[in-house]
Amino acid sequence: MSKTYEEINDKIKKGKAVVVTAEEVIGIVRQKGAKKAAREIDVVTTGTFAPMCSSGALINTGHTKPKMNFKQAWLNRVPAYCGIAAVDLYIGATSIPEDDPANKVFPGRFVYGGGHVIEDLIAGKEIIFEAQSYGTQCYPRKELLAKIRMADLNSATLLNPRNAYQNYNVAVNARAKHPIYTYMGILRPNMGNINYCSAGELSPLLNDPNYRTIGIGTRIFFGGGTGYVFYPGTQHDPDTKRNEKGVPMGGAGTLALVGDMKEMDSRFVRGVSMTGYGVSLAVGIGVPIPVLDEDVIISCAVCDADILAPVWDYSDDYPEFKGKPLAYVSYAELKSGKVKLQGKEIETASLSSMPMAREIAGKLKKWIADGKFLITKPSAPLPGMGSGVKFHPFVERAVKKRKIIL
Amino acid sequence: MAKKSAILHFGHDLVERPIISDLIRNHDVSVNILQASITPEEDGTMFVQIEGTDKAVKKAFDYLKEEGVGLIFPAKNLIWDKDKCTDCGACVAQCLVRALTVNESKKLDFDSDKCIACGLCIPACPYHALESVTDHLS
Repeated sequence: MSKTYEEINDKIKKGKAVVVTAEEVIGIVRQKGAKKAAREIDVVTTGTFAPMCSSGALINTGHTKPKMNFKQAWLNRVPAYCGIAAVDLYIGATSIPEDDPANKVFPGRFVYGGGHVIEDLIAGKEIIFEAQSYGTQCYPRKELLAKIRMADLNSATLLNPRNAYQNYNVAVNARAKHPIYTYMGILRPNMGNINYCSAGELSPLLNDPNYRTIGIGTRIFFGGGTGYVFYPGTQHDPDTKRNEKGVPMGGAGTLALVGDMKEMDSRFVRGVSMTGYGVSLAVGIGVPIPVLDEDVIISCAVCDADILAPVWDYSDDYPEFKGKPLAYVSYAELKSGKVKLQGKEIETASLSSMPMAREIAGKLKKWIADGKFLITKPSAPLPGMGSGVKFHPFVERAVKKRKIIL
Repeated sequence: MAKKSAILHFGHDLVERPIISDLIRNHDVSVNILQASITPEEDGTMFVQIEGTDKAVKKAFDYLKEEGVGLIFPAKNLIWDKDKCTDCGACVAQCLVRALTVNESKKLDFDSDKCIACGLCIPACPYHALESVTDHLS
């Protein structure tokens, strides 16, 4: 038995769709079997909330009087990229003020950056905006210093090149004799702790391992509002090694996401400070999975015990881009709080919030059950296994030294 | 008897009123002021310990709330701001005395009796949800 996107949407519009979260579906499939569950359930909702760089805001401020062509701009002293058009600018989540001490006194605290500007804008706070230009005959103004806020911006779009990683590395410090400060958190020496960053069985792409229903054009919960998948995310890597159940055993697929910031809620879009590393942004993402048939629901019933992640040594192998994972561990082990590795019991810590992921999957479930959110058929699929799309390393070709001619 | 520590925030409209004096006179509590920084016409903060019967201490805090005094209850020397906390659990592996733990429902729990105020958790929080009282007051 199979259902079409249209049939599912008809049920949603009538308020008759049966919607469950990706956690709830596991027990249902176990109890009733995939066949019956696929017949009864129309949509499975997923959710994730974790720091994810590769995020940023595309802002169009509207024109000043007289007009100005921004060449350099700062929001609360955080530099934005202006090489787009006169009043278009992009503020990346990891951008930091030029006078931030960064890691000069190690480890730097990275108190405020692009991610925090994005959170503050969504929270409706006033932002100090500064811009400079060289001035042209059509855009004569050269300087601007003004307060701005979300309500006054012509448009503000969260435009994230890479989010919602399908599985990810697990990090330990195996070789350094001191704590190390990474984007995976603080790692104590002698494998003092093991950090992970995925919602596991609730994470969007882990519930659709072969990108069957999540594709270009998929409508999603994004930062408290609605958004869309607009492309495979950067570093999309579908051919990552998979286990016997077809679940990737490391970072694989990614999503490029877009959504209107004016609809968002700052509860689900938070600036992040990683000590010794930098700033970033945590965004709440929820993707609905329409239960087209039995195969779809079997994928959605994936559980933490079936999802393995590679443990990398972030003190040496990871930064040097060498070696191989020390081991593979399951999210069931990671979420239990302790993992056994090389004969040692190690305490785990998560950077991904399960309560927030549950809240997001729950909210999306309610939106759909209430008939307020319709599912979308992708206009094109994401590149899958065997497509040839790969995440490959930098090809560093030497530049020949030239003689300087005076 | 009860003894409770709190950081009091006085908005600029409150600093010129004798709130602490009224608190002591009308609610039968003793107030130990550990640190205070209050200047006329500016916002002020005060770190206090309020002691009295359970009922009196409760009424004392109700009074402060009614008057619009901002209240933060630090546990020992650590402030856990639940509004900023996302319950990710990044801090728990830094807490060697297990004062910060993740419970069954994956939410963060903080046991102030176990906290030794070492401060190791503070830089591990990506959301500035953990702060020392000393830093907060400065």
